[in-house]
Amino acid sequence: MELLQLIIDGVSLGAAYALVALGFVLVLNATGAVNFAAGDLVMAGGFAAVALAEAFPLPGLALLPLVLLLMAALGLVFSLLAYFPLMRRPPTAVFISTIALGVILQNAANAIFGAAPRKAPALLGEHLYHLGGLSIGRQSLAIVAVAAALVLAQHLLFARTQLGRSLRATAQDRETAEALGIPTVRMIALTFMLAAALAGAAGLLLANRYFVEPTRGNELIVSAYMAVVIGGWGSLPGAVLAALLIALFQVIVSAYASYTTATALLYAVLLAVLLLRPKGLFGEAIGRRV
Amino acid sequence: MRGWLSTGIRLPLAALAVALAAYPLILGNPYSFRLATLAGIYALLAIGYQLIFGYAGALSLAQGCFFGIGAYVSALLASRLGWSFAWSFPLSLAAPVALAALVALPVLRLESHYLALATLGVAQVALLAAVNWQGLTGGANGIAGIPAIALFGARVPDGWPLMLVVWLFAAAGAFLAWHLMRGLYGRMFHLMRENDIAATALGIDRARLRLAAFLLSALYAGAAGALYAHSEGVISPGVLEFPVMVACLAMAVIGGSARVSGAILGAVLLVHLPEWFRVLDQSYLIAYGAALLAVIIVAPWGLIGAVERLRARLLPELLPEPPAPRMTTLRARAGNAAARLLEVEGLAIAFGGLKALDGVTFSVRPGELVGLIGPNGSGKTTLVNVVSGLYRPSAGRIRFAGQDITETAPYRRARLGLARSFQSTSLVAEMTALDSVALGRAALEGTGLASALASGWRCAHLARARGHAMALLDALGIAAFAERRCGELPHGITRRVEIARALALEPRLLILDEPAAGLSAGEAADLRQHLQRLAQGGLTLLVIEHNMPFLMPLAERMICLDDGRLIAEGKPAEIRGHPRVIEAYLGRAAWAGGPG
Amino acid sequence: MSEPLLELQGLSVAYGGIAALEEVTLTVASGEAVALLGANGAGKSTLVKAVMGLVAPSAGRMRFAGGDLRHLSTLARARLGLGYCPEGRRVFPGLSVRENLEVAARVDKATRRRRLDAVLAVFPALAARSDARAWQLSGGQQQMLALGRALMGQPRLLLLDEPSLGLSPILADELLEKVREIAKAGTAVLLAEQNAAKALAIASRAYLLEVGRVVREGASAALAESAEVRKAFLGG
Repeated sequence: MELLQLIIDGVSLGAAYALVALGFVLVLNATGAVNFAAGDLVMAGGFAAVALAEAFPLPGLALLPLVLLLMAALGLVFSLLAYFPLMRRPPTAVFISTIALGVILQNAANAIFGAAPRKAPALLGEHLYHLGGLSIGRQSLAIVAVAAALVLAQHLLFARTQLGRSLRATAQDRETAEALGIPTVRMIALTFMLAAALAGAAGLLLANRYFVEPTRGNELIVSAYMAVVIGGWGSLPGAVLAALLIALFQVIVSAYASYTTATALLYAVLLAVLLLRPKGLFGEAIGRRV
Repeated sequence: MRGWLSTGIRLPLAALAVALAAYPLILGNPYSFRLATLAGIYALLAIGYQLIFGYAGALSLAQGCFFGIGAYVSALLASRLGWSFAWSFPLSLAAPVALAALVALPVLRLESHYLALATLGVAQVALLAAVNWQGLTGGANGIAGIPAIALFGARVPDGWPLMLVVWLFAAAGAFLAWHLMRGLYGRMFHLMRENDIAATALGIDRARLRLAAFLLSALYAGAAGALYAHSEGVISPGVLEFPVMVACLAMAVIGGSARVSGAILGAVLLVHLPEWFRVLDQSYLIAYGAALLAVIIVAPWGLIGAVERLRARLLPELLPEPPAPRMTTLRARAGNAAARLLEVEGLAIAFGGLKALDGVTFSVRPGELVGLIGPNGSGKTTLVNVVSGLYRPSAGRIRFAGQDITETAPYRRARLGLARSFQSTSLVAEMTALDSVALGRAALEGTGLASALASGWRCAHLARARGHAMALLDALGIAAFAERRCGELPHGITRRVEIARALALEPRLLILDEPAAGLSAGEAADLRQHLQRLAQGGLTLLVIEHNMPFLMPLAERMICLDDGRLIAEGKPAEIRGHPRVIEAYLGRAAWAGGPG
Repeated sequence: MSEPLLELQGLSVAYGGIAALEEVTLTVASGEAVALLGANGAGKSTLVKAVMGLVAPSAGRMRFAGGDLRHLSTLARARLGLGYCPEGRRVFPGLSVRENLEVAARVDKATRRRRLDAVLAVFPALAARSDARAWQLSGGQQQMLALGRALMGQPRLLLLDEPSLGLSPILADELLEKVREIAKAGTAVLLAEQNAAKALAIASRAYLLEVGRVVREGASAALAESAEVRKAFLGG
């Protein structure tokens, strides 16, 4: 029974992780850039929710569209500062620029909101349902539902629409896409906006139960990154699935041992995966030409 | 004087160093000494970080972690066990180096972001351990009461003496890094960073270079951490937190990532930045981030790089006298002419279902000049890559000089005497032609850390290699370009520099991949003469070309590939008339034109 | 005679000091099929890429449909009616065959649907595998897909960069036959091709490139008789 309770908690945490990992992979696929600030964007989304809740005392679900919009705008700024000026440079340059932006975001949050953990409103209130021996928070269910809806929306956008096809074509071969008349600069900017919006949504979802503080992003980026490595570099469904598994592992091992043990074990798994498959579990799609 | 000014930025640097030293002395208050001490500690940290980040080109995020571990080891040994500095200091260096060696195996093989995140993972675990292992580390409260540095039984007092001692350590570290990297060893790193495949083809073991840089970076970080613990007297888990790493990265990037002076400048600037801009108050990390972003966008070579560029523009470089040539003998390790030097048997490889090579068998005898032709996409370059070891074949064997090398690492094949050139230029634009060719001697002079340290004050390895390089440039008729940077050389010259570099290996077999590509008719004819002369000197050559007019008069024997298969073999005249070759080149339909 | 559809005058391209094209002058009229011959490295691909805006020329004039191309982005050139079938196919590997085609038609849904049906009718092999991911296709099918994809924008000029590269002779014949059909139907074609015999059979005129220069141009029939073409490929 206790395990079942933990699984429910793990899935709701994993649903939020999945959104972070998804945003990370979208940018990765579209630009080849590893966004080190993905975790800090989650943190920014969390604080956006905190600030909005102070201005408008509404439930979290009502704030979600506003958070998505604000974060999409931040994503656009992000791409203009950290990606477009460095497009033709080696990937390390973009990696460092995202580290720099992450540092700026973290410390800006620290300056505005202070270092103490803050709490965002629950999506639909904090009611607890009792079911047999289980107590399931309405928030946990709402997190899973909102995350699932966002993942589904992203999937439909990419699979079913001409815009989605254009985004994917840009990600797979930018030069050819451009030569076929696809506006790739716009597509890449849009990808950054989408990724930031997804990260921001995750921030809103996490900031109720787990609170939000300026340095939250560092753990999140490592979790998201692990999800992407374990799920197969560049794979969207793999990232979502691995994010769920990682969260379950963290929640369950933390309960029976400690958070430190859980995290250390998780890193050990990551290192083992990298040792055995240095390019990720399923390898990178594009080989290197000599 | 003018020579001194124009071959580096030594004079401005010396002036800057004097100014830096004078600054806290003039202010003379304890706080300015403390800041200067901190700057020295960070300089040491950043110099070490440059070895792995700047020279080896690997984005490690464990430098802050190594720093913290050095600090914790010092704190524990000195304050809990009462060890003296003379004993705790070496152990503070050894601990991070040991950790680096432990994680190097899984982590160091990884590329860019994998390496970055994996090293970040290691750092996060160390931080968690420091916070939660309260019995040992004191948890979030950290460790207090760490004694000051004691040298020769005397305690070093705070203020300017401590600052002096710390900067002496920093100077020693700076000197060691500078000395290590100024000779052939540093140039190996440069080539590996820009083009690791070309480095491998010269017999340079990339993994070994990266490991050495990683361990050294941990050594420097441990030293910086130990000095930090002793000079602050108290540490907390903050020394293991990410801001330390960010500061170190920012210092290396802002100062200039492959210059020792850059690390020092970056450290001094960033430590003082919050002081000079008091308005920043607690938000100085935002300024770090903004400065890091601005530098990476506007001046990716950093401040020192920017100064060097400015200097080069204002005061054109004087070309140094090229060294005297030292005669290289082309090792005619040929031996029995009837034997086979290279034997390739049934080679096959496929990429995503496409068979790039399909059962290719041929051999090259010592002293022969063999031409390998085939239309675009027929698998010529793939064949070279398989023979030189960049690709593993899915079937078949390769024997070289009587030894099966099918499973041999590519850098070992180069050391066995199998040299190759590349289709596109593989030279480092900022390196001189002379040094590029000198790198061909890397494997013969020794690629290890020990041999680099043993090279001595005059960099004997580099001097010797340059002598050989000069002789080779001379032999190929391009001695006049020796001190010019490869980026400014005309294309025809760069091709010859690459051939000279491959020859510096003293190869038994030289494989040239499209040496005439992009050459004008005159340049191609010139190159052909040189190749002919080399062949007459006893060198075995395998030349890949699609340019048949170039190859025909040169080759003794030719092999033609089409669609991954060997379709013809014979003397040039036979190949030209071979119906399958004509079909491969001109198409299947009946050819209307008469013989040319 | 009216202005040609594509007109290049004194076009030069250099990569880091190496001249890849030198003062090339070339025209393609509306509805005309022109072959661009030359050995590997002669500059065929560079020329096609320069027209598409993927490499920047160092000198020369480029006009298309009466307008100056030089300062237009690749995107703008594609929208003016240049269809591009790149060397090495470069289909979008993770998109299905249908998606590869759809994504290249930036028009309303109904028109897109019509064009899709038309292209699939030309390539029955693709129609049979329209839901397969592009990376699962054979080399020949991928090349068909790249060709079909270039047609989805209904270009006025189709630029084909080595379409027979890496294909077996039978598949190459089949593919070039499709190109002939497309040209016959009225789309102008500039065909860069190593397979000289076949290319000359399709095109009405041809240019022979050698080390970045046009060394011969003329009617296909005349070039097919020429010893120079043979020499360019097989050496003196």
